[in-house]
Amino acid sequence: MKRLACAVFLAGHLLAQVTYDRLLNAEKEPGSWLTYSGRYEGWRYSPLAQVTRENVKNLKVKWVHQMPTTHLVETTPLVADGVMYVTEPPSNVAALDAATGKLFWRYRRQYPPKINVCCGQVNRGVALLGDRVFVGTVDAHLVSLDAKTGDVLWDVEVANYQHGYSVTVAPLAVKDMIIVGIAGGEYGIRGFLDAYDAKTGKRRWRFWTIPGPGEKGNETWSGDSWKTGGGSTWVTGSYDVAQNLIIWGVGNPSPDWNGDKRLGDNLYSDSAIAVDADTGQLKWHFQFVPHDLHDWDAVQVPILVDDEFQGTRRKLVYWAHRNAFYYALDRTSGKFLLGKPFATQTWAKGLDPNGRPIRLPNIDPSPEGTYVWPGVQGATNWYSPSYNPLTRNFYVSAWENRSVYRKGDQEYTPGNRFIGSVPLIELPDEPGHGAIRALNPRTGERLWEYKLHTKPWAGVLTTAGKLLFGGSDEGYYFALDAETGKELWRLHTGGVIRSNGISYTANGKQIMAVAAGSAIFTFELP
Amino acid sequence: MAILLAALPIVAQEPVRNPHTTPADIEQGAKTFRSHCAACHGFAGTGGRGPNLTTGVFYRGGSDADLLRNISDGIEGTEMPALFYSPDRVWQVIAYLRSIGSGAGKVAGNAAQGQKVYASNGCAKCHRVSAEGGRLGPDLTSIGRYRAAGHLKQAIVAPNEDVRQRYWFVSARKGSQALAGFLMNEDTYTVQFMDMNENLRSESKSDLKEYKVEKVSKMPAFKLKDSDLDDLVAYLASLKGGSR
Repeated sequence: MKRLACAVFLAGHLLAQVTYDRLLNAEKEPGSWLTYSGRYEGWRYSPLAQVTRENVKNLKVKWVHQMPTTHLVETTPLVADGVMYVTEPPSNVAALDAATGKLFWRYRRQYPPKINVCCGQVNRGVALLGDRVFVGTVDAHLVSLDAKTGDVLWDVEVANYQHGYSVTVAPLAVKDMIIVGIAGGEYGIRGFLDAYDAKTGKRRWRFWTIPGPGEKGNETWSGDSWKTGGGSTWVTGSYDVAQNLIIWGVGNPSPDWNGDKRLGDNLYSDSAIAVDADTGQLKWHFQFVPHDLHDWDAVQVPILVDDEFQGTRRKLVYWAHRNAFYYALDRTSGKFLLGKPFATQTWAKGLDPNGRPIRLPNIDPSPEGTYVWPGVQGATNWYSPSYNPLTRNFYVSAWENRSVYRKGDQEYTPGNRFIGSVPLIELPDEPGHGAIRALNPRTGERLWEYKLHTKPWAGVLTTAGKLLFGGSDEGYYFALDAETGKELWRLHTGGVIRSNGISYTANGKQIMAVAAGSAIFTFELP
Repeated sequence: MAILLAALPIVAQEPVRNPHTTPADIEQGAKTFRSHCAACHGFAGTGGRGPNLTTGVFYRGGSDADLLRNISDGIEGTEMPALFYSPDRVWQVIAYLRSIGSGAGKVAGNAAQGQKVYASNGCAKCHRVSAEGGRLGPDLTSIGRYRAAGHLKQAIVAPNEDVRQRYWFVSARKGSQALAGFLMNEDTYTVQFMDMNENLRSESKSDLKEYKVEKVSKMPAFKLKDSDLDDLVAYLASLKGGSR
């Protein structure tokens, strides 16, 4: 009987269920990479330490998976039970042998002719739960696939893509639900965060990031502007298990560069929101940029850490925002604790005691153009930061550049851009530069930087080997000493890296993986 | 694929026509033009770094459909970016362009005379026209299509006013060797440039000392007689060859 039970258990394991329990204990199986950021706290940290500061110089390419796509690849691969799941843009999915890169199956979606995605038909990855894979699509659906075959189990509409809604975010599996955000902040959408029943695809709750009439916060929008107020949710958030809170970033208000018809603070645009995982009810929020006129979305992965902060043990959120300020917030209340620039900015004198920016004069977009640092793409953007519990440091890819912000008029028409002008994002012959920066997250103080000639669109991963892995638009994937920023290894992949790296094991050996160009590259020690 | 294409029926298509041509459209188009296009094409559309748009000649196609495509999507391989607006607003810009498209774009000076000025001042050492001349500076074969006369004049008398990144000056020492040339590409660790002998060089920055990239033009600021300058500008403005 005992033997039989054991056999049943083994068979159960072979079925390879990614249970909620496994997601809760992700740090106990460092050979897998089960959620977008590797664990619910959003750290993008691998507890693997086979690759060290001493041997990283020997890393070699293990395998490469080329994707049949002409779109930019922003995917974070997930790895469970020997299988790697990657999205291939626009919104296709491939399941690969994580040890060899060989294809098991591919889901190819049929797309309608006109897709409304502001900035490329991209996708940042899948979610795994049970024996299923979940992917959001550029035509604003959420699809559940069989993890073994890629067969479609259900396919539900999240919103009407013809009105500028799309899903580019990697969903997040929490309990028996799939949490998914929406994109479309350049199309005058009304943003939300959704939870779907993983088994049936039925929607459990929706939190509107732009409150409707009668809801708290609606008074921060003049007239009917809330109807087209933007507030997208296109980067995967984090989950505070103990408080049962989903913490997620909200995007820019619409139209981006003209606020004349949306007077007020425009809640909850450009905010961190914390909602109850079971009900979608808002517990707290913190708005980084009230009445934003520069497209500075709060589309960063929230990093959740419990640590000593100014002498008190606290539940914290660390956040380097697109507006060039680094923030520490209290995770039980959203209370502002600390804010300090981590990159050049010319728009705020500082932050007041509540974290509200003290704006400088003459920084608003204007018909003739206004020069402001940081530029439209921000001092950082959607690509992931990392927190390393061994160094207790916060790491971020940063940009140093400025843009010319212009203001124009625009009427809303469904499915068309609703942005209120087009800024000069890149000044001709003034390319700016990038850097990987390490901060002491408890003070905002910069510890070191690794300068890049160009501006990186790639996130950072840190490991228990005290290494940081990052990429660049130049096509390099590189490893730095997480304590000093010293470069220890690099490889030219020959394609832009606009994604976030991960680490996992195959046959007991640590592998580093990242999307570069139209491919997934993996690396291991000889 | 070829078979598929061959099987496609040939359909006579109605030409695309601008649906937004009222005075109000033209006025709105002018506003959009001034805030988004004027930096290169000039406040009145008479050109600058970008071509003069008032001559009625559009080298990438002058039909409404051509203009809609080129303004909406930009022109690959040139400095013309895309204007990320809905078609209605692009149509208004096109209506405005049609309203100003009457100027003849005449240039003072004599082009034939200017060709002599070009030759006697040694411009061909660094510039190329129809595959003749040097490669250190920009190829001028079709420069008359892209630059307005005023901008050409400025580029001759004050070349440092507006230097394309492609012509920023690279200098360094490698061992005992002095390196110099014009920037082609640069990343965090390497640099690619054309040296003063037109050799293509690719160097690792870690091998270089005193590495510098200067945002300056190596073209001398020419001090020409007014009439020579006008003639030279007329010659350059007449260069509209090539397929670029």
